[in-house]
Amino acid sequence: MNCDAARLLIGADPHATSPELEAHVQGCAACARFREEMRDLDAHIHRAMQDPPQLARKRRAAPQWRQWALAASVVLATLAAVGVWLLRPNDSLAHEVVQHVQGEPESWLAAQQVSTAEIDKALRGAGVQLDLTSTHIMYAQSCFFRGHYVPHLVVQTAQGPATVMILRHQQVAGRASFHEAGLEGVIVPAPHGSIAVLTRGPANLDGIAAEFEHDMRWQQ
Amino acid sequence: MRNSPPETPVSSIGDRLPGPDPGAPLVQLFESLRPDLLRFAHWLARDRATAEDIVQESLLRAWRSREALKDPSAARAWLLTIVRREHARLYERKRLELVPLDEITEMQAALRPAEADGELFALRHAIMRLPIEYREPLALQVLGGFSTEEISRELALSSTAVLTRLFRARNKLRVIYGLSPAPDAAPEGAA
Repeated sequence: MNCDAARLLIGADPHATSPELEAHVQGCAACARFREEMRDLDAHIHRAMQDPPQLARKRRAAPQWRQWALAASVVLATLAAVGVWLLRPNDSLAHEVVQHVQGEPESWLAAQQVSTAEIDKALRGAGVQLDLTSTHIMYAQSCFFRGHYVPHLVVQTAQGPATVMILRHQQVAGRASFHEAGLEGVIVPAPHGSIAVLTRGPANLDGIAAEFEHDMRWQQ
Repeated sequence: MRNSPPETPVSSIGDRLPGPDPGAPLVQLFESLRPDLLRFAHWLARDRATAEDIVQESLLRAWRSREALKDPSAARAWLLTIVRREHARLYERKRLELVPLDEITEMQAALRPAEADGELFALRHAIMRLPIEYREPLALQVLGGFSTEEISRELALSSTAVLTRLFRARNKLRVIYGLSPAPDAAPEGAA
């Protein structure tokens, strides 16, 4: 048995055992360590799967008069929300960006470059394209943020991973930097909306934002 | 809900079965397994309400086919396969993931403060995000206790394909756990 075969068996079932596998693991420190890691991970998987997340229940269809009443209240609430939206301070945008990024902790850990197709898919909803000449994008999702789908990317830099969110619908008056929840960030104006860049440590945030702005093509 | 007289309560299969009850022990057995079935259906469907519907329908199917269950000790595995097939039927009918991923993300984000353990939260989130072809064999193995051979029979896949899917599922979760992903050890063309 070679390492590939051993790792396939271990990865598929970390507690599986056979004479061939045991013989291989006895003589291969790397596969033995891999099995230790996978057994440890598996204990966490078992624990995690015992408790599915409590998701919201589907709503039942309401009678028609209730739908009209609901529609009217939605209109009123929307008008009120738009008023609040227009008047709110700029720093709430930074706060919401931080909250969003914290909600996807796995994004920082992605270790493999995503495909061009996945990047295109993440960008499509925001009407932007990216010339991928110099960036290493490790994570690309289209995320629902403030009523719109926005590209949420993680790019590998010399200083570590940096999150970039392309906020086509969020206009900002000027550059704003922030520090919140252990994250360093900057939001800069772009030809259409703004670009947010966040890192978990010191980095050239403006340089990353400028590079993205340079490589980005905005569709009308 | 289907096939029930209007006055019949629907909260429990036991309440819905007619007659004096030669099958009472079986009903009790089914009911005792309901939490396991619900948990399994929930991981497949990614939605609690859909999972409840799937389990309800599955228990009715199981009751109608109860003659096929020769050994009560095999009830759990038997019911889990019925739940899986019921989910697959629903999935086929809708021809898409039953709950959009963006919806999951939002619901999860709303719940995040209640989660005490960030690592488990991230892991649950990542499991929910696994494509169904990886999530399904993982749920069968972890929650159902199915062997690779049993999973391959249930999913009509080769053993190699099942091994590959389970390997890839765990390999994706390694990253969440702070480990680097292992090189893909799957044979060419598997899964």
